[in-house]
Amino acid sequence: MHVIETQNLYKEYTQKFSKQKVNALNDFTFNVEQGEIFGLLGPNGAGKTTLIKILLAITFPTNGSAKLFGTDVKNHKAKAKVGYLPENHKFPSYLTGEQVLSYYGELSGMKGGSEMNKRIDEMLGLMNLAKWRKTKIKKYSKGMMQKLGLAQSMLSDPDLIFLDEPTDGVDPIGRKEIRDILAQIKSRGKTIFLNSHLLSEVEMICDRVAILNKGDLIKEGNVEDLTKTENVFAIHTVESLSLEIKQKILLIDKNAGIGEKEINTETGLANLNKIIDILRSSNISIQSVNQKTSTLEELFINVIKKDNTN
Amino acid sequence: MLTIIQNTFREALAKKIFYGYYIFYAIVILIMIFLVNMDSVEGVMSLADSKMLVQQVETGFFTLSWNLIIFFSLISTASFIPSMLEKGTIDLLISKPISRPIILISKFLGAVLFVFLSMVFLLGSIWLILSLKSGYWDPKFLLSILWITLAFASMYSVVVIIGLTTQSTVVAILVSFFLIFVLCPLLSLREAVIFSLVSNDTVKFVFDFLYYVLPKPGEFKDIANSMILSEQINMWKNSVNTETGIFTISWLSPISSVLFMLAVMAYSIFYFSKKDY
Repeated sequence: MHVIETQNLYKEYTQKFSKQKVNALNDFTFNVEQGEIFGLLGPNGAGKTTLIKILLAITFPTNGSAKLFGTDVKNHKAKAKVGYLPENHKFPSYLTGEQVLSYYGELSGMKGGSEMNKRIDEMLGLMNLAKWRKTKIKKYSKGMMQKLGLAQSMLSDPDLIFLDEPTDGVDPIGRKEIRDILAQIKSRGKTIFLNSHLLSEVEMICDRVAILNKGDLIKEGNVEDLTKTENVFAIHTVESLSLEIKQKILLIDKNAGIGEKEINTETGLANLNKIIDILRSSNISIQSVNQKTSTLEELFINVIKKDNTN
Repeated sequence: MLTIIQNTFREALAKKIFYGYYIFYAIVILIMIFLVNMDSVEGVMSLADSKMLVQQVETGFFTLSWNLIIFFSLISTASFIPSMLEKGTIDLLISKPISRPIILISKFLGAVLFVFLSMVFLLGSIWLILSLKSGYWDPKFLLSILWITLAFASMYSVVVIIGLTTQSTVVAILVSFFLIFVLCPLLSLREAVIFSLVSNDTVKFVFDFLYYVLPKPGEFKDIANSMILSEQINMWKNSVNTETGIFTISWLSPISSVLFMLAVMAYSIFYFSKKDY
């Protein structure tokens, strides 16, 4: 059984005034398995939030179906083991941090009493919010609100957590803490569905990603596989390269990118070794040789550019 | 359901308007304590006189303040639905394993229960003060708590549907104001005022139709007063005795208002259940 399963999801919005139809999702089919951290990427308006909202039955699909733990999302019981941190969440400002957790905990089906209090203590401690527990949340900073939101999404110990921009407004130390918490949740076999604009963060956390553009799923796979760039190497030298050496290198790889003290080649390991031989025979000291991998950000930009051109 | 009702109470208590609401009630109660004099112990007044005076104070109080109390109650609760629908709040609420109808019904019941308890405080205090002062203990006045809560609930269903469709507290308040102070009183007087000016049967039908369909918060007051005074209440039609000019209210008003409330709430639940957020 998949934790998340969608079949040919299609969502069409009608714009209020122009009555124009906009496709937010096109024939979207994908699955998420237990224990994965799944990242959803895409430019603004790609359909990421729409997808999360459909999975939580906040919005309804025009066509297709979605299931959580094998239960259709139209059935509210499908959300029994789900936690959610929406983007720009808004808690009732008249509540204290502790009351917020208690309120949403009860809505998630938790029973009040010592068990819940223990869990609230645990969550507030984990988020470094324990000393703010009796403070009304209208006095909380953006980062504190975000941490409280995260605590809320994890309070009932759900098997699946949807996080929409979880590190938004959080400082770098807080981000690191959140990443560690997510890794800890994952180690307990929980599934995390992450929607974030911070691609470096997604790259660090996620096992698998899907890239959406204009409602279409244009790329999906393991982060490692997607970012691997075979046969691309960079050589850095200590001394400057003479014109003669540059010409010799171009004979081996006519497309090599050659700078003052840097050579980039994309023609494989054999040619890399030949270039190194040239450098060594010319008494050029090599500072480093690196195999290049593209970052998720580079991949994302390339894929989106390509899709937009098509 | 209880969690949402409890939170609705917290929301009401967190609003500044709530304090204004209770200061007004406290003033009314103080007036009853210090200004109403009906000392029957020293023989100034017989019990029959006390009964009449108590009934006059009670019905007079309702005549002056019934619609005002309902309107105050609507103002203090009108924002519950629009604030629930704010982005970031509604997403979180719907993401919980609770059905949408339960969410909406809980919000509605929370507001109605809040007003009910406020009325227990206000009308219960008035009843206690008048009874202690007069020695005339008649629990019929306490039934007014139920009538005023029902009148509020029927109007609050309008606030709910307006809040759901427009997500605006101001529009919801304006519509309820128009209904309580303009349209409903006008429709109650349609036979005496409008029909004497209009002879067109279609127009008369439209006014009659609106009268029977829309809630009648003011006529709940007539029911409450009739019960306090132990007067007769007709089954289906209000009537005026042509000789004495005495007006007799019917059960039609509460029945049609409750039916209206049920119909509007049913549509609100349907609308809320289908809406994308």
